Amino acid sequence: MEERFLHLEEQRVQLEQRRLEVERDHEFRMFSIFAQMLNILKQGSGASPGPAAPMSWQGFGLAPEDPKRSRTPQGPEQTFPVFYGLSNPGTRHLQGSPYLSNRGNDIKFKSGINDEGNAAYYADKYDEDKNPNGIINFGISENKLCFDLLSKRLSQSDMHHIEPSLLQYQDWRGHMFLREEMARFLTYYCKSPNPLKPENVILFNGCGSVFSALATVLCDSGEALMIPTPFYGGIVNNTYLYGNVQLVYAHLDSKITETNTRPFQLTVEKLEMALQRARSEGVHIKGLILINPQNPLGDVYSQGELLEYLEFAKRHELHIILDEIYMLSVFDESATFHSVLSMDRLPDPQRTHVMWGTSKDFGISGIRLGALYTENRDVAAAVANLCYFHGISGIIQYQIAQLLRDHDWINQVYLPTNQSRLKAAHTYITDELKTLGIPFLNRNSGLYVWIDLRRVSVRKRKLMVVVGEWGCSGNGEAFWRPDLDSLGSDSPPTHPTPVAAPSTYTRAPLRRSCCCFAVS
Amino acid sequence: MFSILKQEDRQLAPSPALPLGTDHGEGLGRESSEKRDEEPADFYGLGDPAAKFSQISPYLSSRGSIIKCFRDAAEEGYKAYHLDEYDEDKNPNGISQKPLRGNVTILFLDCGNGLSRDSRGRNEKAWETKRVFGQLNQRDMQHIEPPMLQYPDWKGHRWLRDEVAGFLTYYCKAPVPLKPENVVVVNGCASLFSALATVLCNPGEAFLISSPYYGAITQHVYLYGNVRLVYAHLDSRVTEMDGRPFQLTVRKLEIALQGAKSEGINVRGLILINPHNPLGDIYSQEQLQEYLDFAKRHELHVIVDEIYMLSVFDESAMFQSVLSMDRLPDPQKTHVIWGTSKDFGISGVRFATLYTENQDIANAVASLGCLHGVCGTTQYQMAQLLRDRDWINQVYLSENHSRLRAAHAYVTEELETLGVPFLRTKAGFFVWIDLRKYLHTDTFEEEFSLWRRFLDHKVLLSCGKAFECKEPGWFRLVFSDKIHRLRLGMQRIREVLGKEPQVAKTPSPCQPLEKSIQSR
Repeated sequence: MEERFLHLEEQRVQLEQRRLEVERDHEFRMFSIFAQMLNILKQGSGASPGPAAPMSWQGFGLAPEDPKRSRTPQGPEQTFPVFYGLSNPGTRHLQGSPYLSNRGNDIKFKSGINDEGNAAYYADKYDEDKNPNGIINFGISENKLCFDLLSKRLSQSDMHHIEPSLLQYQDWRGHMFLREEMARFLTYYCKSPNPLKPENVILFNGCGSVFSALATVLCDSGEALMIPTPFYGGIVNNTYLYGNVQLVYAHLDSKITETNTRPFQLTVEKLEMALQRARSEGVHIKGLILINPQNPLGDVYSQGELLEYLEFAKRHELHIILDEIYMLSVFDESATFHSVLSMDRLPDPQRTHVMWGTSKDFGISGIRLGALYTENRDVAAAVANLCYFHGISGIIQYQIAQLLRDHDWINQVYLPTNQSRLKAAHTYITDELKTLGIPFLNRNSGLYVWIDLRRVSVRKRKLMVVVGEWGCSGNGEAFWRPDLDSLGSDSPPTHPTPVAAPSTYTRAPLRRSCCCFAVS
Repeated sequence: MFSILKQEDRQLAPSPALPLGTDHGEGLGRESSEKRDEEPADFYGLGDPAAKFSQISPYLSSRGSIIKCFRDAAEEGYKAYHLDEYDEDKNPNGISQKPLRGNVTILFLDCGNGLSRDSRGRNEKAWETKRVFGQLNQRDMQHIEPPMLQYPDWKGHRWLRDEVAGFLTYYCKAPVPLKPENVVVVNGCASLFSALATVLCNPGEAFLISSPYYGAITQHVYLYGNVRLVYAHLDSRVTEMDGRPFQLTVRKLEIALQGAKSEGINVRGLILINPHNPLGDIYSQEQLQEYLDFAKRHELHVIVDEIYMLSVFDESAMFQSVLSMDRLPDPQKTHVIWGTSKDFGISGVRFATLYTENQDIANAVASLGCLHGVCGTTQYQMAQLLRDRDWINQVYLSENHSRLRAAHAYVTEELETLGVPFLRTKAGFFVWIDLRKYLHTDTFEEEFSLWRRFLDHKVLLSCGKAFECKEPGWFRLVFSDKIHRLRLGMQRIREVLGKEPQVAKTPSPCQPLEKSIQSR
């Protein structure tokens, strides 16, 4: 059904995109004139690659170095219209703070938008008793279904242990007991043919930090990593904030063709195209980022697909960063997840880096734990020297080790419950979507569905749902959006639990949107 | 931008206008072969953290290669220490730790709290009070609720920031209550330096700092931020203007700032450490005012690192926080850093806080906060800890101070017996000791080889080079450890120094200096 609908929509989308392109071209021209004026005023303030041509939506685009452009929900009346191309650092900060450096202003602006989303949600958070009209959060991909299990498990007496070594300076890569536990855990759950080695495990306070450190040691300032869109947009900030590493997009779309047998299918051909296009424009790409299971699409790559992507990367001497943070959130037997760590032979083991964390699969994003697995000693040594910016409390490391060690609880209690709850929530949401006539991608992984609101009309509702962009601080669903049209869906939830129905979106509604259903 | 910088001689010729230092080294028997390194009595220097490295990995970017190789003497020692850590029972011949800033006294003496099996029973009666360690094991610390497991506000949970503001108001003696919205919480002071450097400076710009200083700041501001340090070198000579050795004066700051400017270095701020690490200096209110006025005059930000503020163990000393001042010269450019690592001896917990009235900066730092997040349950524990003022005042601080006092007294008596001059301090966990007479030549190579000999005798000290001290031969000795470990460590130091023929130097002009040092 979804595919038929997508097909019918195709023509309209093309028209729409043409209109948007025209609009954007106009914005770009205006902005270029403005930028040139500013440049004259601010000569000498940073490198100016000169105005670049706007890139087309299809196929390839360069992640805006200027964060404003990557997540501007405000529309054309804003000072900074959305456009794509190489940024001109000297022209960024019209209202820059005199207290901050150029990049400081850049970073602060991210916080500006972040504040807006945060403020909206945190100021008016939904609560059954206290604030029944508050905002229900469909935007942040957090698993709220199993707090009861986790709270209970983390409160058990085996968690309450403190010894001096936990309170003192540590090996910045993480305590060895946790790295050993993590290696065992990944060996088991990733089905690694050989035991993974603790010395290849490096711990961070979250996967955002892993991206930041990897981007910084793999790329020089201004170089790029490639990623298929749509993707979890927090990565833009993670690689950019400190690393000044840009993302080159390989755009996927919903069209079904001979080679694209499913919407948003990732093919090596698309990767090749984006790579060649970027290279022809002088952008230096050092690696490819893949998210598997994919966020926000929910795609789980087959072994054959994975191998193709890995070989593509090897062919071009690209590092490949695999974000497998949703690996245990595959909740239906119809989908089988294959970790790259399960492969007998990796095409380029020295350039393959895998990350996983507890935020999604255990629904404890507030605990801040991410792990990198890499066989490359140079990469491991380099990121280790950035680790003291991303340290985790020793007490927490102990608790996580206890958690990961407890395979009985994970296998017999936690995972079955979590997966059946995810499945129930998914079923509820998708049934509602069907009733509403909203097409979606029917995948059985992750905490979200990718829904198509392209034809839904705008209706304001008091009860709002944050859907979509939230990624300024890397804490939610942000992804590339080609459109800024205002619209939303409707139907406020009539009953709040266990899963809220999709509802109106607040700021910048998306035509194609992702909605997180793991809300209790 | 990042690049591998070629080794450059950044040492400046001595300024002829300065009589200070012209007689430096005379009569100390400097070898002429080493003159080249030491001769310039420069009062300022420019850190060039990348200069040492040229090893390139094919897998890393150029800055990645620099980051990978980022090691210094201290780190090497740290690694040696971790491989061969002293333990009464398991490894009695291991390395006795001296250089780390961790407040080990508290921790190791706390093992009797019934949790750590192998250390039970070796607690000493006098130290049976409840301490941080026990405190963190209190029932009220074991509390988990869903918000702690979810993505936080990246500035820190509001309830924690309330608590931090109250804590700082009280302990810094702020004239008016400090505001929670000016507080940003991250995982350690290193992260704060990194974030502040990134938002205040553009790549290649610099902060001004007096040397010797806690050397890790070099990496903190450089690794991600690509920000360098300009040194205002202090030395041990006492002159009319320098009432005490290593005295920081505005004049020295001015010289360094002008020197940097003349080289085209853009200095954006001044870093002050108070109480000072490694010197142990506590700045008087007048001094503070002078430094802040200097910064204001030159439109510099001031980052005041007050991480040792509660570790002033001598009651005769008065610590003045900048937050206690009625009127800051430039409140929008004054940023204060504090953390629990030192004053509560829990460096493994990773908790630090920024206080700044400047919302641009608070927000910009918070944008980077997603890469420096603190676990929600840790935030809860820290809030509980900081809230418990009765315990802090009546139990913890008095106990901590009396132990630091005792340990300090023991170590300094031993040093006096050994005839080793040192700076008499009233704060911090360390003494700055003068081993220049044990160097055959006044070079950092000699200093390093002495450091090595200590390490070979399984006692780890930090050498002056690690603090960018301009004079070779100074070491930092950390005394915050159990008395019997201190005894062992001092014994090993004695062995090393006993084997060292003291260089027969001409009746040293240092002699009066030593006296003056000791008498302080």
